Amino acid sequence: MTPERPDLAPPPTPPAWLWFCRVLVAFARREIATLSGYRVALVVRLLSFAISVLALAFFSRMVGAAVNPYLASFGGDYLAFVVIGLVVMDFQQLGVTSLAQRIRNAQLMGLFEAELATPVPTWIVLSVGPVYEFVLAVGRAAAYFALAALLFGVRFPHASLLTLLVAAPLVVAAFVGIGLVSAATQMLVRRNNPVAVFLASASFLLSGVAYPSSVLPPALRALGRLLPMTHALDLIRGALLRGATLPALVQPLLALGLFAGVLIPAGGALFALALRRARVDGSLTHY
Amino acid sequence: MSDPIDAAGIGKTFHPAASVADLLRGRLRQAPVPALTDVSLRVAPGEVLCLMGPNGAGKSTLLRILAGILVPTTGRARVLGTDVSEADAAFRRRVAFVVGEERSFHWPLTGRQNLAFFGALHGHAPAPARAMAAALLERVGLAEAADRSFSTYSRGMRQRLALARGLLGAPELVLLDEPTLGLDPQGARDLRRFLRDDVIRAAGRTAVIGTNDPAEARALGDRVVFLDRGHVRGEAPPERIEQELGL
Repeated sequence: MTPERPDLAPPPTPPAWLWFCRVLVAFARREIATLSGYRVALVVRLLSFAISVLALAFFSRMVGAAVNPYLASFGGDYLAFVVIGLVVMDFQQLGVTSLAQRIRNAQLMGLFEAELATPVPTWIVLSVGPVYEFVLAVGRAAAYFALAALLFGVRFPHASLLTLLVAAPLVVAAFVGIGLVSAATQMLVRRNNPVAVFLASASFLLSGVAYPSSVLPPALRALGRLLPMTHALDLIRGALLRGATLPALVQPLLALGLFAGVLIPAGGALFALALRRARVDGSLTHY
Repeated sequence: MSDPIDAAGIGKTFHPAASVADLLRGRLRQAPVPALTDVSLRVAPGEVLCLMGPNGAGKSTLLRILAGILVPTTGRARVLGTDVSEADAAFRRRVAFVVGEERSFHWPLTGRQNLAFFGALHGHAPAPARAMAAALLERVGLAEAADRSFSTYSRGMRQRLALARGLLGAPELVLLDEPTLGLDPQGARDLRRFLRDDVIRAAGRTAVIGTNDPAEARALGDRVVFLDRGHVRGEAPPERIEQELGL
């Protein structure tokens, strides 16, 4: 069949990576256009972000006023310690919730049916949201570090870039693995699943986000070793605050490698099963 | 040439999610709800088939199966030579499922931005996506409103934008679910004329239209199949709809 007008001809199927990039750009444009329609909300979000950094800085001034033995192995600067904790926590929440949240929002908003009726592969539709959120999280992290450095003189004189370059992808991979399991579970049981909430609370208590885990009783500290967040923080703080080499961080590297190695294939398989089930049930297009 | 649609013995049963009470009783799903039972139909090239029936008859479910969005529980359906259970990107380029659902658009965005977004999902680069959006907005009579927010569109304009979105892939088969639902009589007449003359006939497309409006089926259809509670109850030419329905 010939189209009515030559300019309405369908495009040739692009390679998957190019298709993904085009959809990602379109998604980002759509999000930015939507956000720019809510200027007050955007300003409020930026303000609350700045306020949270300020509050942290004043809190750290109080904590840092006394010599704190618990912080000695982290260079003694509480603000540097806690900013890393919050940034890694942000990435964990993003990894665990963004895919599940994208699916739930699209189901609730009724967007999925129209999107899945187009030729775009389902994996592209599902992954652009989390990737976009990831880019935003990197921006947030950069803003946190920049504000802490510019306003409060936080420095990382011992940071090891090489260690960070190896550790960061491993940390993200472990969190993505949990995210796949979380999204698949939500699709299979068709309910909000409590994995994200539980993981956030448990990590905050046991992993050493806002305080070194050395302040915890031994039993809780042992429990904390079961959480990927604990190892992620060991790696990132080791790289940024102590300039630790990779051999010095072998234990958290192995632990996170194990989390990623098990959770990504298992989560991927579970997610593929959930997608197949959702297509049969019709539950991908409504909640 | 083989028929664009050849479906035999299609059945679809839904399993609603379990309530908390069900989960506490150890049941992961609620009782199954049959939506379609043993539905068979063929549609010839260039034919416009209307599916008629009351709400809950199974029209939307059948359209979604033919669009490759839902997988049938039983039976098989071949659409443009492809088994719908194996619908891929090439299939979705050739089949347009026109989703009139208002929530399927981004309300803060303009008509042009909405279409450009869906153009990217069709694989267009940004510039061709914008050009395609402009051409389609012109075709559906929305050129002047192209840069207005979708939230300000009337119901008729939203349906036209949904049609434009359906044509982004230059399809051979168009599936429409209640395309004039909620429109005033004049708006419905205009949209039907546009659908029949510009979208379907001018391009020689095959179409399946779900409707419960006899006037729509008469205006658009070459043939009408009646569905009731998931079963095919018969078929008739459009001029005999009233007799078949006992009106």
